[in-house]
Amino acid sequence: MSELDVSVGLWAVLVVVGAALGLDAASWPQVMISRPIVAATIGGALLGDASSGFLVGAILELLGLGHMPYGAAVYPETGPAGLVAGAGLAASGDSGLGPLLLAVACGWIIGWVGAATVRLQRRINGYLVASLAAAAPYRLERRHRMAMTIDALRAGALTAAFAVPVMILVKLVSRLPTGGAALSVASAVLLVAVALAGGVGVRVMGGRRTAPLLFGAGGAAAALLILLTG
Amino acid sequence: MQGSWNYRTLVAGGLANAMLPLLRRIYAGDPVRLEAAVSRHLEPFNAHPYLCAMAVTALARLEATEVSPEKITRFRTALRAPLGAVGDELVWAGWRPFCALLAIVLFALEGSPWVATLFFLLLYNVGHVYLRGWAFWRGWSAGFDVGRALQEAPWNGATRWLTVLNAFLVGAAVVLVAWRTPATALLRWEVVLALVAAAAVGYVRPGLGERVAATLLIAAPVLLLLLGG
Repeated sequence: MSELDVSVGLWAVLVVVGAALGLDAASWPQVMISRPIVAATIGGALLGDASSGFLVGAILELLGLGHMPYGAAVYPETGPAGLVAGAGLAASGDSGLGPLLLAVACGWIIGWVGAATVRLQRRINGYLVASLAAAAPYRLERRHRMAMTIDALRAGALTAAFAVPVMILVKLVSRLPTGGAALSVASAVLLVAVALAGGVGVRVMGGRRTAPLLFGAGGAAAALLILLTG
Repeated sequence: MQGSWNYRTLVAGGLANAMLPLLRRIYAGDPVRLEAAVSRHLEPFNAHPYLCAMAVTALARLEATEVSPEKITRFRTALRAPLGAVGDELVWAGWRPFCALLAIVLFALEGSPWVATLFFLLLYNVGHVYLRGWAFWRGWSAGFDVGRALQEAPWNGATRWLTVLNAFLVGAAVVLVAWRTPATALLRWEVVLALVAAAAVGYVRPGLGERVAATLLIAAPVLLLLLGG
């Protein structure tokens, strides 16, 4: 813990922020502080590197493009996952490829663990609210508030469980030696995963016949911009 | 609105809870009719959470004008599909990714995480608050005419443009994020070809694309550790 420079106070702040981010996703207020680009930036900033946090968040955002919260769909929970991933990378003090890859992978896995807890919460909500047959208004208000409290506690517990282990893991990986060829292969694998997710995202967001062309044009325009600006 | 979302009644708990202040005013001094109205609105219901505001006020208006409970229930059932489909397409598949992708492009070009994050939150929430406000007031004024109000909504053409812009922005964001990734292999031709092929596979076979992307994501750090020593 001391090597990571994470105090109990900072851990508690992460837990409270994680609870707020988890609450934002569906319960309240849905202003999208729970999106990975925001959550991971906050996580990174709390551990001293907002920029690394944003990069983790951007990759998680692209990976999640194909997962829409339609109806009863199950999708990765992005708030606590992004927060922990961003904090994990920033805590390592190393913005190299190895820690970045691990932080992103941890964020993705935590997102799906979060999704499982959301499913459980929705079943509990069924008992709380759907069982109200003769509905005295005060009972409805109380149970609705109770469901939201459980949601915040759930997200806080998720953050509490994963924050320190992820920071330790990413820190350990940052100390391992990695060679040039390995870096190229691993970064190529990550980029292929992001490109796959981008293709899925374009299709899910309502791909028309021209969508692949537009996708390619966007990529080409960005590549040209990089070449021109260096 | 979705605070008590569940698999049995979906968003009905949130809808009934949001209607309570209006129902209390409409049925002031009549607890029996108030409880009957609350029970009515606890029946299964689903819609996009932002456009639920339209259901809240449209249904409250019907309650206030003493429309029969049967008619209210039928109207409530009819509201589900349009309020869900329009909101999902406009917000979840259109506006939210558009704002996030723009923020990612901004970060890649400008470099400040805070400028990009605040840009995302401000831009997204201008649309978010506008939509909730529009839905709330338009629902009350429309009553039974919610369908027509949705057809005449000022943002109707936006969905098509957002789809077009998002496809372009995803392409740009993938390349720019790759550029920002340390030790990037982007400048090798075989990698560029692999990216184009991967995007094509993701587009043509989204289910397969998702599974392969998740596998590669987990495999990347493992590969680095195995080959790195």
